[in-house]
Amino acid sequence: MMTKVGEVLLLLLLPAFVPHTDGTRYSLPGKPTEIKCRSPEKETFTCWWKPGSDGGLPTTYALYYRKEGSDVVHECPDYHTAGKNSCFFNKNNTLIWVSYNITVVATNALGKNYSDPVDVDVVYIVKPHPPEKLEVTVMKDQGWPFLRVSWEPPRKADTRSGWITLIYELRVKLEDEESEWENHAAGQQKMFNIFSLRSGGTYLIQVRCKPDHGFWSEWSSTSYVEVPEYLHREKSVWILVLVFSAFILLILTWLIHMNSHSLKHCMLPPVPGPKIKGFDKQLLKSGKSDEVFSALVVSDFPPTTSNYEELLVEYLEVYVPEQQELMVNKGKDHDGCLKSIGSASDSDSGRGSCDSDNLLMDKSGAPKEEQQQQNQEGDQIGKETQGPKEAWEKEAMPCANEDVVSPDASSEKVKTWPSVFSPVTPYSPLDPHNSLEMHKQHCLSNTQFPPGSPSSDHYIKEALQSSYWEVCFNNNQPYPQTKVHPQLQAHSDRNISAVNDRNAPTGRLLPTRMTEYVEVQRVNEENKVLLHPIPSGHSREKACPRVGQRDDYSKVKGVDSDNVLLLQREVVEEESMEMAGAAESCYTSSIAFTTPKLTACSPIALPVQDERVLAVSGYVDTATVFSPHT
Amino acid sequence: MHEKMTRGVWGLLLWPYILTVSMPLDCKEEPGSLTRCPSISQEKLLDRVIHHAELIYRVSEESCSLFEEMFIPLPLRLQSNQAGFACITKTLPIPSSKSEIEQISDKWLLHSVLMLVQSWIEPLVYLQTTLDRYDHAPEMLVNKTKWVSEKLVSLEQGVVALIKKMLDEGTFTTTYNEQGLFQYDTLPDMLESVMRDYTLLSCFKKDAHKMETFLKLLKCRQADKYNCA
Repeated sequence: MMTKVGEVLLLLLLPAFVPHTDGTRYSLPGKPTEIKCRSPEKETFTCWWKPGSDGGLPTTYALYYRKEGSDVVHECPDYHTAGKNSCFFNKNNTLIWVSYNITVVATNALGKNYSDPVDVDVVYIVKPHPPEKLEVTVMKDQGWPFLRVSWEPPRKADTRSGWITLIYELRVKLEDEESEWENHAAGQQKMFNIFSLRSGGTYLIQVRCKPDHGFWSEWSSTSYVEVPEYLHREKSVWILVLVFSAFILLILTWLIHMNSHSLKHCMLPPVPGPKIKGFDKQLLKSGKSDEVFSALVVSDFPPTTSNYEELLVEYLEVYVPEQQELMVNKGKDHDGCLKSIGSASDSDSGRGSCDSDNLLMDKSGAPKEEQQQQNQEGDQIGKETQGPKEAWEKEAMPCANEDVVSPDASSEKVKTWPSVFSPVTPYSPLDPHNSLEMHKQHCLSNTQFPPGSPSSDHYIKEALQSSYWEVCFNNNQPYPQTKVHPQLQAHSDRNISAVNDRNAPTGRLLPTRMTEYVEVQRVNEENKVLLHPIPSGHSREKACPRVGQRDDYSKVKGVDSDNVLLLQREVVEEESMEMAGAAESCYTSSIAFTTPKLTACSPIALPVQDERVLAVSGYVDTATVFSPHT
Repeated sequence: MHEKMTRGVWGLLLWPYILTVSMPLDCKEEPGSLTRCPSISQEKLLDRVIHHAELIYRVSEESCSLFEEMFIPLPLRLQSNQAGFACITKTLPIPSSKSEIEQISDKWLLHSVLMLVQSWIEPLVYLQTTLDRYDHAPEMLVNKTKWVSEKLVSLEQGVVALIKKMLDEGTFTTTYNEQGLFQYDTLPDMLESVMRDYTLLSCFKKDAHKMETFLKLLKCRQADKYNCA
C-alpha cells in the first residue's frame, strides 16, 4: 500500500520536476560544427568551433584531442584566452609536423553530442598576422619621383631565426573611384619601389604576408601618400612639336596664298576652246552665218595654178548598186533614154540619186571604192572643191548625209563634184548664198517631190526631182572658158524645159552631188547631146539603150548661140566595170547621192539660162547654172 | 741521365694530376701547414645546403599536389591540415616542436637532418619505379620525383660534409634506414597501392619541410647563438 502511494506520488510529482518554460522542448544539444584551427606563428594555435542548438538547457563544450601515434586523449588546456567557443594551445602543447585529432563535445543535462573529428597539422594551418610598420616615402630619381614602401613582419612571427619564412605582397591604388588595386609580389624582402606615378596623385598602399606553406594574412592598414606635382618631360616635347608644326603650317598657308593663281593654273588647267582658223565666234553669235563661212573660205582655194592638167582627174566613176539599177529599169517615162555612154555596167549612169532608200547606203558604200581608186587623181580636185564643199558641208550637216558632210572623206567624193561643179571660187563669193541654199535644198530633198511644183529661183527641189541629166565630163581636157558659162546656163535651162513635156523643172537643176541626172535624149547630127531631165515621181525608167562604147562627155566644147551647152564627145574605151553602172541615167525620180560616173561624152547641149559661169575647168555647175524655170 | 730526363718530363706532364693527389679535398686546416685545402667555407656550405633543402621542399610539394590531382579522388584527399596516414619516419627521434628544438643542440639538429635524408633515399627510388607502372603518369611528375631523389643524394653528401666541418667528426656512416623502415611488398589492390604512394609523397613533403627548417635554425645559431630559437 505504501509503495503504491509512493508510486502514485512519484507519478504526480514527476511533471513538477520537468521545468515549465513556455512550452519549449528540451533536447540534446546540437552538434558542434565547423572546427577551425589557426596558428599565427607556427608555435601556438587556436581552434574555434560553432556550437549547435543548446536544446534549451545550459550546455557546456569540451575539446579533446589526440596526437597521432598515441591513444592518450587530452583535453583543451585553455578555453578562455582565445574567447568563446575556442581552445588555445600554447607553445608547450604545440607540436609541429604532428597531426592532432580534435573532437568537440557539447554537453547538457540531457546528454552529450560529439562533433566530427578533425585532423590538424600545425604546419599547414599557419596564418600570420599582417605586416607592421608600413612606411611609404616619396623619393626622387633625377627629377622623377617614386615611392619607397617598407614594412616589418608581424611581431610574433619568428622569421629572424628562420623558423618561419614569410613572403610578402603589396598593392597600390590611386585615390580615384575607378582605379583598381595593383598587386606586386615582393618575395621575402621588406622593401619595395613603385615607379611611374601620376603627378599630384594620392596613393593607397597595403601589404600582406604568407608563410611558404599556409594562408595569406589579412591586409595591413592603409597608408596614404601624395605625389608632388612635376612636369612630365614627354609633355614638354609634345608642346614643342605642336608649336613647331603650327609655325610650319602658317608658313605653308602663306606660300599657298601667294601662289594661289599659279597653283590653280597647275591643278586645274583651263579647258582649251575650239580653234578653227578664221572662225569667229562672235560673228556666229551675231547670226550672220554667211560671213562666218566666208571667213572660213581659204582665199587661195581653188589653187589658181595655171596648170590645170594636174588637177584633172582621169575619169570619174559612179557606182550604183543593184537596187538602183532595178529602179532604173522600172522607169518608163523616158522613151529616149539615150545613153551616150554605152557601158552596161551601171544603169545609174553616174547619177547620184538622192534615193530615199539607198541614200546613205550608196553614199557610204559604193563611192568610197571608186574614190580610193582615183584617190591620187582626185586629191587635187578635192582641193579645189574644198572651199565650196566646206560651205556646203555646213549646210549639209542637217542632211544626215554622212558622206557628203565630211570634208576629208569627201575628198574622194569630191571627185564627182568637179564633174558637176565648176570651181566655186568665181561664183561662190558672188552668190554663196544661193549655192548654199541650193545645196541645202538639194540635200533636203531626199524624197521625191511632186514634179512640176514651181519654185523660185533658189529652190531647186523640183528641179532636182524632176530633172535628171547626165553630165559627161572629160577630165583630161582643160576646162572651157568662163565665158561659156552664161551661155551654157541659159541654154541648158531652155533645153531642159523644151525637152521636158511634163512640168519642167522650174528650179535649177542641181546635178551637184550626183543628185540630178540629165538623161541624154538624143544626139543630134552636130554631136550635140540634148539632155532632158528625168522626171521625178512617177518616172519609171525603162531600159535605156546603151551605147556599146562609151562616150566621154566630160568636156564642154562650148556654148552655142542658142545657149546650148556643147559637150565634147569623146570615145573612151571603157574598161572598168564601175563605169557600167554609171552610164545609164535611167533612174527613178528619186535623187541619189551617188557619184555620177563619167561616161563617154558627146557634146551635149544644155540650155543655160542662168548667168552663172561655168567652172573654169569646164565642169558645169548646174546648181548655179540653171535658174528656176517658171 | 737519360732516365732522369724522361722522369722529369713525365713529372712535368703529369704535374696537375700530382697536385690533385697531394691535396686531399677534405683536408683539415692545421696551423702551420703548408698546404691550403681548396674547400668551401662553412657559411657558404650551409647556405648551399639550405638552398638545396628549400628546392627539394618546393619540388616535393608540387609533386604531391600533381599526384593528388591525377590519381586521388576528391573524398580521399588529405586536407592541408591533416596528416592522415602514418609516415615511415615517425619512429625517428626527431624534435617536433619549437620548444624541443630550442633545447636541442646543434649536433643533434644536424644529425636529425641526416637521419631524415638518409631514410628517404630508398623510398624515393621505389616511388620512381612505381610511377613507371602507372598508365598515364604525367611526365612532369616522373621528372620531378627523379630530380628530387637525385638532389636528396647530393643533400646527404652536403650534410655529411657539414657535419664534418661543424662538428669535426670523422666520416661515419650511420645507416638509419633499416630495412624495417620500409617494406617493398606490392599490394595487390590498385587503390591501396595508390593510397600508399600518395601517403609516401605527403610524408616526404612534410619531412622536407622539417629538413629545411632545421637547417635554417642552424644557420641562425651559427650567426647569433643567443637570439635564435
